[in-house]
Amino acid sequence: MKYTHNLYLYLLVILLVAPHLTTVFSWKKDEFRNCNQTPFCKRARSRKPMSCNLIATHVEVSDGDLKAFLVPKNQENQEEDQENQEKGEIHSKALILSLSVYSDGILRLKIDEDPSLDPPKKRFEVPDVIESGFLEKKLWLESVENKGGLNVVYLNGEYEAVLRSDPFEVLVRGKDGKSVMSLNSHGLFDFEQLRVKKEGEDWEERWKGHTDRRPYGPQSISFDVSFYDVSFVYGIPEHATSLALKPTRGPGVDDSEPYRLFNLDVFEYLHESPFGLYGSIPFMLGHGKSRGTSGFFWLNAAEMQIDVLKDGWDAESSITLPSGQSRIDTFWMSEAGVVDAFFFVGPGPKDVIRQYTSVTGTSALPQLFATAYHQCRWNYRDEEDVQNVDSKFDEHDIPYDVLWLDIEHTDGKKYFTWDRALFPNPEDMQKKLAAKGRKMVTIVDPHIKRDNSYHIHKEATEKGYYVKDANGNDYDGWCWPGSSSYIDMVNPEIRSWWGEKFSYQEYVGSTPSLYIWNDMNEPSVFNGPEISMPRDALHYGNVEHRELHNAYGYYFHMATAGGLVKRESGNDRPFVLSRAFFPGTQKYGAVWTGDNTAEWEQLRVSVPMVLTLGLTGLAFSGADVGGFFGNPEPELLLRWYQVGAYYPFFRGHAHHDTKRREPWLFGERKTELIREAIHIRYMLLPYFYTLFREANVSGTPVVRPLWMEFPSDEGTFGTDEAFMVGNSILVQGIYTEGAKQVSVYLPGEQSWYDMRTGTAYTGGVTHKLDVSEEAIPAFQRAGTIIPRKDRFRRSSKQMENDPYTLVIALNSSREAEGELYVDDGKSFAFQQGSYIHRRFVFSNGKLTSINLAPAATGKSQFVTDCTVERIILLGHSPAHKGALVEPSNQKADVEDGPLMLRPGRTPAVPTIRKPGVRITDDWTIRIL
Amino acid sequence: MQKKMKNSCFISSFFFLSVFYLLILIDRSAASSSINLLGVSPQDLSYYSGSSSVIKCKDGSKKINKSQLNDDFCDCPADGTDEPGTSACPNGKFYCKNAGHIPVTLYSSRVNDGICDCCDGSDEYDGKVMCPNTCWEAGKMARDRLKKKITTYSEGVTLRRKEIEQSKLAAEKDAAELTKLKNEEKILKGLVQQLQDRKEQIEKAEEKERLQKENERLQKEKEEKEKKDLEDKESDNNAPDTGNTGGVTTESTDDDHIGLVEDSPPLEDVTVHGKSVDEHQHSDDNEEARSSSEGEHTATEEASAVAPEAGIDTASKGDDASDNTESLSKEELGRIVGSRWTGKKSDQESAEADSAADDEDHEEQTKNIEDEEYNSYESETEDEHSTYDDEEADDHVEDLEEDASEPTSSSYKYETDDDSELTDISSRSNPSWLEKIQNTVRNILQAVNLFQTPVDKSEAARVRKEYDELNAKLSKIQSRISSLTQKVKHDFGSEKEFYSLYGQCLEMKENKYVYKVCPFKQATQEEGHGSTRLGSWDKFEDSYRIMRFSNGDKCWNGPDRSLTVRLRCGLKNEITDVDEPSRCEYEALLSTPVVCLEEKLKELQDKLALMNKEQPQGHDEL
Repeated sequence: MKYTHNLYLYLLVILLVAPHLTTVFSWKKDEFRNCNQTPFCKRARSRKPMSCNLIATHVEVSDGDLKAFLVPKNQENQEEDQENQEKGEIHSKALILSLSVYSDGILRLKIDEDPSLDPPKKRFEVPDVIESGFLEKKLWLESVENKGGLNVVYLNGEYEAVLRSDPFEVLVRGKDGKSVMSLNSHGLFDFEQLRVKKEGEDWEERWKGHTDRRPYGPQSISFDVSFYDVSFVYGIPEHATSLALKPTRGPGVDDSEPYRLFNLDVFEYLHESPFGLYGSIPFMLGHGKSRGTSGFFWLNAAEMQIDVLKDGWDAESSITLPSGQSRIDTFWMSEAGVVDAFFFVGPGPKDVIRQYTSVTGTSALPQLFATAYHQCRWNYRDEEDVQNVDSKFDEHDIPYDVLWLDIEHTDGKKYFTWDRALFPNPEDMQKKLAAKGRKMVTIVDPHIKRDNSYHIHKEATEKGYYVKDANGNDYDGWCWPGSSSYIDMVNPEIRSWWGEKFSYQEYVGSTPSLYIWNDMNEPSVFNGPEISMPRDALHYGNVEHRELHNAYGYYFHMATAGGLVKRESGNDRPFVLSRAFFPGTQKYGAVWTGDNTAEWEQLRVSVPMVLTLGLTGLAFSGADVGGFFGNPEPELLLRWYQVGAYYPFFRGHAHHDTKRREPWLFGERKTELIREAIHIRYMLLPYFYTLFREANVSGTPVVRPLWMEFPSDEGTFGTDEAFMVGNSILVQGIYTEGAKQVSVYLPGEQSWYDMRTGTAYTGGVTHKLDVSEEAIPAFQRAGTIIPRKDRFRRSSKQMENDPYTLVIALNSSREAEGELYVDDGKSFAFQQGSYIHRRFVFSNGKLTSINLAPAATGKSQFVTDCTVERIILLGHSPAHKGALVEPSNQKADVEDGPLMLRPGRTPAVPTIRKPGVRITDDWTIRIL
Repeated sequence: MQKKMKNSCFISSFFFLSVFYLLILIDRSAASSSINLLGVSPQDLSYYSGSSSVIKCKDGSKKINKSQLNDDFCDCPADGTDEPGTSACPNGKFYCKNAGHIPVTLYSSRVNDGICDCCDGSDEYDGKVMCPNTCWEAGKMARDRLKKKITTYSEGVTLRRKEIEQSKLAAEKDAAELTKLKNEEKILKGLVQQLQDRKEQIEKAEEKERLQKENERLQKEKEEKEKKDLEDKESDNNAPDTGNTGGVTTESTDDDHIGLVEDSPPLEDVTVHGKSVDEHQHSDDNEEARSSSEGEHTATEEASAVAPEAGIDTASKGDDASDNTESLSKEELGRIVGSRWTGKKSDQESAEADSAADDEDHEEQTKNIEDEEYNSYESETEDEHSTYDDEEADDHVEDLEEDASEPTSSSYKYETDDDSELTDISSRSNPSWLEKIQNTVRNILQAVNLFQTPVDKSEAARVRKEYDELNAKLSKIQSRISSLTQKVKHDFGSEKEFYSLYGQCLEMKENKYVYKVCPFKQATQEEGHGSTRLGSWDKFEDSYRIMRFSNGDKCWNGPDRSLTVRLRCGLKNEITDVDEPSRCEYEALLSTPVVCLEEKLKELQDKLALMNKEQPQGHDEL
């Protein structure tokens, strides 16, 4: 004891004395490399505009692509300084450039070394991300048009792609000649080609006692990309920053880091910081009022750094745009890999996301339960704890669908095992939950305990399935279990083997109601450089870890989801939550924003983080409600529940050092309000599920920035405190303590209805609203119809047969429309057309239900007896004569009813009482 | 559509319902023939069965037609008045009769949700799921448990009464003692004052005498000098001079000696010792509490000053580590970084890097066992719930308790300093004690004639001795007064029923830990020689159903430790089920007859009576 005390004192002294520790934050800045400490980033950032001297030669069409060589312009020109001389030598070999065009206005640019020139190694191209269906959409180019030194190819009816030869530049422009996007317009392109190490050359990089041998030397790539006629650029998660990306370089931007894309396990991350977090998606969108939206995606899994350049960054450069178009320049740097980039022309925001997700895949349709509320804590300690928490939810009449178990449920952090002292009967425990329609999720991380009695370790060792260190031995790093090795999921054979581990026979104690959580898959390695794996570790196919680092977690997620599909022979949709992500992750499951903190600012930043994930294809995401680290004040917790109820992925979670914070622990009033927040989510489940289906079909995210729905309303471009849920609901979070008022900008020309009071607010105006602790402001947009289920049950399972409520918000022309998608909520039968998809249209005083689903064959038809019990008419005058239901020709009463079934006075609005129509049927209801 | 929901059609369309369920319906319909009273509780029957064809929503918001009652559409959203028997209103309540068991009121969201909630199955009538009637079996078990509980309570109530009697006596005794002590204090104070005055007078007299002597000496010297001057030869004879100077010293030594030499050393010793203990104890009781809480404040402040840097100590360590990672083994580095999330002390870990793994395992193991052996944190509140589960959980614990197997729990009365003093003082507290002293003092005061010089040395010594002795006694009494005052200040419950728990400690051994709960004092977790304070006594909560100990030792990366002790009726004082549901927030159960309330017994008996009454006829043969 005493000894510890002394040490503690000693540490205190260090803390007080050490000058560099004056920061109030616990984020270990020094632990992670900044750009200056990252040689490739530093080299790239110091390049001057127009220093690229490559020109495109031998431009021709071959195999349906436009192909060219990139060669230095004046190889003989050696008047530059020595560095350039050296570079000249390095770059003497030609690079191969190819441009391909795909349907829907997508241009793909590839630049790599010429394999015929025998490079030391084939550079890594990320496999398993691009959808096979996408490749089939390639448009075979037949010829290239040469217009005054420009090689022009057709992109689609309105856009064309241009390859300028000298200087080399790739440009996407409209038929009107206006540029949309371009690459290397500022001549920052650089491609460090692989070469043989020279005598005495030192390629090693050292960081905090770690040595990266870098056996292949410098191999980075960098280039500039410009977006034209845009007000802001967005995307490139994951960073805890604003939605609209702030400039990182240029006049008035002091000392800022580029946005880093490098999957890292950052302890207590900060808001408003460009450092890299758990996942990486090198996809950026630009949006402006006049031109619309465009997107640029670089498929590359190595560390990437991206600068957003502020106007005037290249003041020295004499380049001006001929058209006088406004633009935002960005600068992209990657440590390794090839150029495999995609340009998406839009022009609408949803078009760009559709185009992007046609390349990387759309969000998997989650099971219905996964879209409901999840209850998690590190850790629910034992079966009794689980049973207690479960029954407390019922006792307090708070619905939830999934109870989670963190790492402590295992036997010594050996995944797929149970601590049998704490969880002697895991099957029974799961069955008890399942009896109430509830699921359980257990955690399975990629670090495997190096313990010879552990079957996974034994097998993986014997089969050689681990990632190797630079010497070719099984890499040994430190994580939860202590000494651990990491499964090499890049190999499809190994993924398949891993998938088998989820079969009920192999995962002893698992049942069909058990789903999986993949954490620490950046991968997190406590004693590795930057808390991750050494870059010179080796994967299957002799791929260096540096080349695929950002995709490691993606492969792990993919393998796990594959296992869950396999265990039920493809009849049950998987649910796997992952912390690390990469383009394509959306196909395998949900992600969350990692280990956040119980602070107001972290609640605030969770919204742009989730919005950004949606913009980049990951529709199913959320932040830990309440904040993982620290103890939220009850008010913060409540506000978090109120916002979290609209996250696509809605889970409460907490660190094991924190106080218990299950919803009923903060007094009766708070319990009531948290219950109401969760109820709102359950009430809106039909709407959410319909949105998830939309994301599954078109890539359009569930929660959206306002500008996605109002692309020409500039007032929305910088907003990230308010957001849209689908196209019908606008939510404004409350992010400060004791807020009495909040300003909300309601875009568009139509009015908005307060979802609790029914009060109408004018669109296109900023409203200053009084707020109470009861709820955060949420509005239904006039002209929409929202399907709800208003009966409150214990979990989504019990709501299956409950009747619907339709809330119709009439616009100024007394019209509205909305959709409802319903299927069995769990299987893949929807892929065979077994679902209901209706469009509800209200016009001329008549509500019509129209079928949107293709005629399904008898066998795969989805059947439900669900009816509509209530139709609420917002913005409709009282109709005392009732309504007539066709074709049954029955009358239904129209009376004043509550907007929401909740205690306390709620305003009465015209309501069609028990129209008795089934959602599967075609019908009309005419207001008399 | 509405018409279709009428009662008769309703029933006939669900012909598959159990006969038993039909019986209920018929039973109800008999009560009021024309309306559907499904899910209505007996207390509410009259509300619905008036002659009017209109019913009001209970909150008064709306009037509805009786045909809208249980028509599966919510017309009274605020309270669900119109839909007790369907799931249409989120705030509705469904009553199931559960003949053979106790009736239960459910959230009406449980109606027709595919889960059997009522043991009579009446909540699931849409035919999607068949719910067997399990009321008889469940009811029998519940009744048995209830009977057992009633037995405990009846005995407990008696014990509690005794306890209260004893508490009253003890409290009266303490109060009487306090009064007496205060009285004694007053007298003693007076005596001490007198003695002090006298002592001062003696000292003055002595001083006077000394000065006089000095003067005499000087006079003598002068005379002698004169003499010497006169008779130079006699200068060899200087001894008296030295003698005299020495005399002063001797006197002062004598002075010192008076107490030490003449008093019986053991007594003095005891007094001194006693006093030091008193002081110690004082500081224990008051100052330390204050200073320690102050200390803790400082600690907390320090900690919170540091807290923002949180990751922090580990981080600073990490810094060191990452700055010279070479000096750390890979394993150490891994542990240090991992410790940020786990909150385990990195310093400890790096210091004990080798053994840490084992420790961790060990710790984990222990925890597992703990968790296995102990019931979880929430099931044991004795709040009355309508669900059986709670009932069961409650009884479950009781059973466990009755088994009283392991973990071992014990209680003992701790030897407080108060108690030792109590005996000390009470031994003297025969009535003559004070009188004797008073006499003695009077005698002394009379005997010592200080106006007479030279002062009688033995008399002066007597005064001093008596003064010291009485002063010691006084402070002892004062300390006793203060600790008694401290004690009686506590809230011992409305009937002082917790009085006897003062000064008691309850112990429970759990693996390597011993949990020690001392009501009104503190709670600790002891492991070998180490002791962690889980908290100091804070207060009762929840009308004496909970004891709170707070401001315990600081937790690494967590709150200050605290302990919540839930009280439940049991036949002896016993601590069980220590648990740590949240990090460093402990909970325990304390069984004690003190909370075996008569009202509760009555309630349980009523409940049993009701259950017996509700028992369906003829079921006994089954």
